[in-house]
Amino acid sequence: MTDQGTPEQEGGLLEKIADTALDDDYYVVRAGPYEQSREFNTVLTGLVLAVFALLVAIAAIQTRTDRPATERERETLINDVDSRKTLLAGRQATADRLREQVEELTSSVVGIDSSFEELRLISGDRAARGPGIRVRTSSGPTPEGVISDRDLQTLVNGFWYAGAEAVSVNGKRIGPLTSIRTAGGVIKINYQPIGEPFEILVLGDPEALEDRFSQTAVGRDWEQRRNGAGVRFDVTRSDDLTVKAAPKDRLTILHAEATKGDDS
Amino acid sequence: MIPVIGLAIGIIAGLVFQPTVPTDLQPYLPIAIVAALDAVIGALRALGERRFNDRVFVVSFISNVVIAAFMVYLGDQLGVGSQLSTGVVVVLGIRIFANAAAIRRRIFHA
Repeated sequence: MTDQGTPEQEGGLLEKIADTALDDDYYVVRAGPYEQSREFNTVLTGLVLAVFALLVAIAAIQTRTDRPATERERETLINDVDSRKTLLAGRQATADRLREQVEELTSSVVGIDSSFEELRLISGDRAARGPGIRVRTSSGPTPEGVISDRDLQTLVNGFWYAGAEAVSVNGKRIGPLTSIRTAGGVIKINYQPIGEPFEILVLGDPEALEDRFSQTAVGRDWEQRRNGAGVRFDVTRSDDLTVKAAPKDRLTILHAEATKGDDS
Repeated sequence: MIPVIGLAIGIIAGLVFQPTVPTDLQPYLPIAIVAALDAVIGALRALGERRFNDRVFVVSFISNVVIAAFMVYLGDQLGVGSQLSTGVVVVLGIRIFANAAAIRRRIFHA
């Protein structure tokens, strides 16, 4: 034993526990009626060991009997998850079926009202094909040659001016609600990220498109950047181009309503 | 011989009667067993060193079990039950290892 007066050393507590692992009483030699019998083979020892064995047995049995309960709980949970999954699958199937029905009904309307179809084509609700130009562009090596969202905006705007009837950038159709913007260093169209090189499909009269575009300020600007900053800007004419429809969520209007009686 | 018979009786009694522990006492059983194990290992070491004394064994066994259970109970009441039982298990674990190491040294001289 350490002296009571001396302060405990750092980290000495655990060592002390290990040093005095055996109860001090075992070391004490008593005389008189409590004189120690060093005998192991006594009823008292047997009794204590019986209690010990009983404790261990009880605990072991308890753990063993408790296990099915926890397992049952687990199984119930798994069953729950499974049933919810099937429920979800059923709901999804229903949603898919309804969506198909809606599409079927919409396509059955096709051809009934030609002005409606034209509107759908203009608004980007339907895929469109026809003659036009294909523009491939990518950034130049210099900082002035980097193509930004603003550049794409002016470019698309220039094509509208030049007589474009449908425009898509990297397969993203430009619809009435489409935005072109940079978010987190990535250019996004219809909230979907696109990357270089950019391929812009413009439907319209190929010749007129190219001529009119090259006469606009935007066209001249891009021509300058191609020569000066090394921006790639290739225009090819084509007789048969196809642009996809704009995504449904970019064609859905929630708040605006048509005004009555005044169509002009 | 009597201790071995006692062990056997305890195990058989547990297996035959399969007593269920009341739910209130269930958290204290594992700690009580660790404490009891400490007393038993200590007794084995004392036996090897020819210091064994059944009276000391009984007292250390009962006091170990009761104090360990009481500390866990106290911890539960104070809201630090798991921390306190961790502390009890650490201390008892160190003691069990130290005693087991002493037994090992005595038997194998290593």
